[in-house]
Amino acid sequence: MLASLSFFLTEAVTSCRRAGLMTFITVSTIAVTLLLMGTFLLAATTTEGFLHRLQQESLVTAFLAPEASHADVNALKLRLTEFEEVERAEIVWPEAALRELFSDASDRDLLQIGLASESNPLPPTIRIKMRGSHDLQPLLTKLKGLSPIESVSYGEDAYRQFQGLSELIWLGSMLVILLLGLASLFIVYNTVRLTLYMRREEIVIMKLVGATNWFIRWPFVIEGVIQGIAGAILASLMLFLSYQFILARLAVLVPFFAIQVGFGYLLKLSVKLTMMGIVLGISGSLLSLRDLNSFCREPS
Amino acid sequence: MIELQNVTKIYPNGVRALNNVSLSVPRGDFVFLVGPSGAGKSTFLRLLFREELPTEGHLIIDGKDVSDMPESRVPFLRRNMGIVLQDFQLLQRRTVSENVAFGLRVLGTPDNIIQARVQEALEQVGLSHKRRMFPDELSGGEQQRVCIARALVNNPLILITDEPTGNLDPMISYEIMQLFLEINSRGTTIIMATHNHNLVNKLRKRVVALVEGRIIKDEPGGTYAYE
Repeated sequence: MLASLSFFLTEAVTSCRRAGLMTFITVSTIAVTLLLMGTFLLAATTTEGFLHRLQQESLVTAFLAPEASHADVNALKLRLTEFEEVERAEIVWPEAALRELFSDASDRDLLQIGLASESNPLPPTIRIKMRGSHDLQPLLTKLKGLSPIESVSYGEDAYRQFQGLSELIWLGSMLVILLLGLASLFIVYNTVRLTLYMRREEIVIMKLVGATNWFIRWPFVIEGVIQGIAGAILASLMLFLSYQFILARLAVLVPFFAIQVGFGYLLKLSVKLTMMGIVLGISGSLLSLRDLNSFCREPS
Repeated sequence: MIELQNVTKIYPNGVRALNNVSLSVPRGDFVFLVGPSGAGKSTFLRLLFREELPTEGHLIIDGKDVSDMPESRVPFLRRNMGIVLQDFQLLQRRTVSENVAFGLRVLGTPDNIIQARVQEALEQVGLSHKRRMFPDELSGGEQQRVCIARALVNNPLILITDEPTGNLDPMISYEIMQLFLEINSRGTTIIMATHNHNLVNKLRKRVVALVEGRIIKDEPGGTYAYE
C-alpha cells in the first residue's frame, strides 16, 4: 500500500513537471477562481461586520408621550437599564433637547424664544446605548408597547439599506461562487482530458500489464490535489495582500467603514479556499477519468 | 488451461472474425497460430486477454469463464498473463528497468522485491547491462526482449504473443524464439500468432491454422502450410 502511494505521488509530481504549461494553466485557473470566490466572501463578511457594528453603535431613541410625568419617565429609565441589551439609558428632557436643537450661536434668539415659551413642542426622550454583543431586533420588540413610549428611532433607513446591501452581496457571492466553480471545473476537466490524450499510449500499456482503472487514476487525482492546493496558496496570498491594501484605501476614503476582519477569520478563509481548491482539482480529474475503458478503446 | 467453446466474434461493422471456434490448449503447450491476414489471429489473441468479448460461446482460462468476467476483474486476469505485441509497446519515458518493473508496480509489490525480480528478468533476456537506458536507445531486438522481460517478471501462466518477430531480422528473430522456447520449457503456456513460416517449420510445435475465422488445421509438430 505504501509502495503504491509513494509510486502515485512520484507519478503525480513528475506529471506536473512534465506537463508544465498544462499545470500552470490549471493552477492559474483555480487561483483566479478562488481569488474571486474569496473576494466575494470577504466582501460579504466585511459588510456584515459593518452592519453589526452599525447596529452596535447606533443609538436607539425612544420618544415618549409629551404628557408623561417625571416619575413615569424615571421609572421607565430604571426599567430599561435592567434589560440585558441595554448598556445605558439617558433621559433627555424637552429643555435639554431644545438646547441641543438650537446649539449654534446663530440660533440663540430662537433658543430664548423656545425656553420662554410655555409649550415646548419637543417631547422627552430616552437615548439607549446597546451592549455590543446583542442584536437590535429583540430590544425593539421589548420597547414596543412599553408605556409611555410613543415611537422608537434607530436610524432604520440607513440600517435597512445596508442590510439589503449585505443580503445582496451574500446572494451575489453564492451565485458567483457557483458559476465560477462550474467554469473552473470545466477548464480543469479539459486540461486533465488533454493530458490524458497525451498519455493515452502509456495508459493503454498500463492496462495491458494489469493496472486497474484506479491504479491509473490515482496519480491524476493526486495531481488534482497538488494543483488545487497550489492554486489556493496563490489565491490566499493575493487575497491577503490586496485586502490589506484595499482596507488602507477605504480607511482614508470612507472612514466610517473602517471594518477589518481578524487574522483568525482570514486564516479560516484560507483553509476554506484550500478545501475548495482540492475539491475543484479532484472533481475535474475524476470527471475526466470516469470512463477509462471506453477511452482506451477509442480509435487513436 | 485455455479452452474455447464454440466461440464466435462478430464486430459491430458486421465482420465475422471468428466463426464457431473450439480449441483446447493444455498447460505448458506451445502453439503457433497461423493463417493469412484477416483470418482472425489477432482477434483470437485479443479474446484471450479480454481486449474483446466473444459474441457467442465461452472462453475458459485456468478454470474461469472470462467471457462472463466483469470489466473490473480483467486487470487481475492480465496479471497472470504476459503479453508481447509486435509494436513493442514500451513506456518511452521510462528506463528499461522501470518498464520491466511496471508489471510488478501494479501489484503493489515492495521496492526491494521489484528490484530483485527485475534484475532476474533482465538477466534472463540478456539485458541487465542496459537497465538504465531508454527504449529509443535500444535496437528493435533489444526492445522486444524488454517486452519479454516485462511479460515474464510476474511469472505468468500464459504468454500471449502477436507477431513478436514481425519487425526483426532473421538472426534476431531466431534469438527471440530461443528465449520463448526456454520460457516454455519452464512450464509457461505460449500462444504465438506469426507469419514467420521459417520459424514455424523449423521448430515443429503445435500449429493451429485459422482461415476466415475457422480452424482448418490443428496439428502437433506441424508446419506452416494451411492451404
